[in-house]
Amino acid sequence: MSEPGEGAGQPDAAAIAGRERLTEPVVRTGLFGTHTTGDTSGYGGLQVRQPPPLSSEPPYGSYFDEVTDALGGALEASGLSFGTAVERVVAENGELTLHVRREHIESVCRSLRDDPALAFELCLGVSGVHYLTDPGRELHAVYHLLSITRNRRLRLEVSAPDADPHIPSVTGVYPTCDWHEREAWDFFGIIFDGHPALTRIEMPDDWKGHPQRKDYPLGGIPVEYRGATVPPPDERRSYS
Amino acid sequence: MSYYVPVVVLGALSAVFAIISLVAGTVSGPKRWNRAKLEAYECGIEPTRQPAGIRFPVKYYLTAMLFIVFDIEIIFLYPWAVAFDRLGVFGLVEMVTFVATVLVAYVYVWRRGGLEWD
Amino acid sequence: MGIEEKLPSGVLLTTVEKLAGYARRVSVWPATFGLACCAMELMATGGPRHDLARFGMERASNTPRQADLMIVAGRVSQKMAPVLRQIYDQMSEPKWVISMGVCASSGGMFNNYAIVQGVDHIVPVDIYLPGCPPRPEMLLDAIIKLHDKIQNSKLGANRERQITELEQARLRRLPLLPHLRTEVEQ
Repeated sequence: MSEPGEGAGQPDAAAIAGRERLTEPVVRTGLFGTHTTGDTSGYGGLQVRQPPPLSSEPPYGSYFDEVTDALGGALEASGLSFGTAVERVVAENGELTLHVRREHIESVCRSLRDDPALAFELCLGVSGVHYLTDPGRELHAVYHLLSITRNRRLRLEVSAPDADPHIPSVTGVYPTCDWHEREAWDFFGIIFDGHPALTRIEMPDDWKGHPQRKDYPLGGIPVEYRGATVPPPDERRSYS
Repeated sequence: MSYYVPVVVLGALSAVFAIISLVAGTVSGPKRWNRAKLEAYECGIEPTRQPAGIRFPVKYYLTAMLFIVFDIEIIFLYPWAVAFDRLGVFGLVEMVTFVATVLVAYVYVWRRGGLEWD
Repeated sequence: MGIEEKLPSGVLLTTVEKLAGYARRVSVWPATFGLACCAMELMATGGPRHDLARFGMERASNTPRQADLMIVAGRVSQKMAPVLRQIYDQMSEPKWVISMGVCASSGGMFNNYAIVQGVDHIVPVDIYLPGCPPRPEMLLDAIIKLHDKIQNSKLGANRERQITELEQARLRRLPLLPHLRTEVEQ
């Protein structure tokens, strides 16, 4: 690819980033759930590369340093150190993400909500993520927090292995996460310890399996129309 | 007396029409029983029983009853207002006595908490 | 009770059938089961431009006890299926079902674990209406076809004969494509 500044000196930063991405390992090809060569929609050529886990070094920029310093202070006051609770900080694209160890998520949330310098009153919910190709850290729970008084946003990410999918519940701190945690249980199988009533919320109560995991099949049926049968999208053959 | 004959006839005809409609529907319609038809309608889900301690809230009855009482008072006020100038002072004193009597009832309901919704 | 199912056939019955068919056709009360996007087109059909009131259908009853026609408008998820069946069961006879839109007729574009692939898995359907969503004119066409069906429904012994005849006709029907017909004829 051509780089506008190549001859003049420094190559383009975007081009460097692009070339670095090509060296990352390929973790997944084709469409989700396909076991054949791919389907007719052209996604057979899909190659998803796994980037290395990002980590930023302080200073992070804009308000991120205030938040991390205040959080460190609040955690020390309750007997926890910043490094024990937070395993990684990512400040990328103008967004701050703290990867928190799952044992400490409730204390971290409580400090974030109660400390006046932080004041993250609003939790926009818990989302589940399933990384099939990350052994030992398959299930992630992502919390988005908003500070209304200070107009700041923060993301917390907690990971749990598939063999032990337990994460402490934050409903004691942010009651709004009640139904969000039920949804994460329903679709990913993340068990939130301390949740008042962890039951299925969107699938029928006696459903087996957790549908939004990457290895759950799409569940379609073949469609017959005017004599031809079209299989569901994840079972179609490739025409190439 | 003959003024009221059409009213009576109208009442009789409507009653006959209503009864015939109901009876004809019951007698001639198809009868297909299924258990769901006997269950209480709760938008398609299984009806959930209320907890044993919760009874029907009496505030609905109180609202209706208070409305009736004060509405009747208003009904008496209308003809008095229409014939006000012919009734003179006597009519005024009479109506003030009436309103004062109902006012006693109103103050009683107010102080006993009948106007509290929660 | 249930006299209409026991009437003897004859010329008087034919007149009664026409009368009953007329009465049932002009006052169908829909129990509109508007679930998703097709409900928007259903509401538009009830609006002033495409008027459902001219068919006597403006009184949509929210209670199934007083409803005649269930228009399943929209996709039915696995969780909604027993609710749909319960509402259908609680409707009183005679009742009809129109599955409006492709999602109700066959699962539509949602060929996955969460959506029931056609409400005919759950309730018997009289008219299937494709479209995503069907235009109000298409819904009116389906309703008028249903009105024809209601008008021509027979009573009593004639009804049983009519049901058997329709079933035989459907079983005799050949596949649409010629190359599949020869298999059946063998």
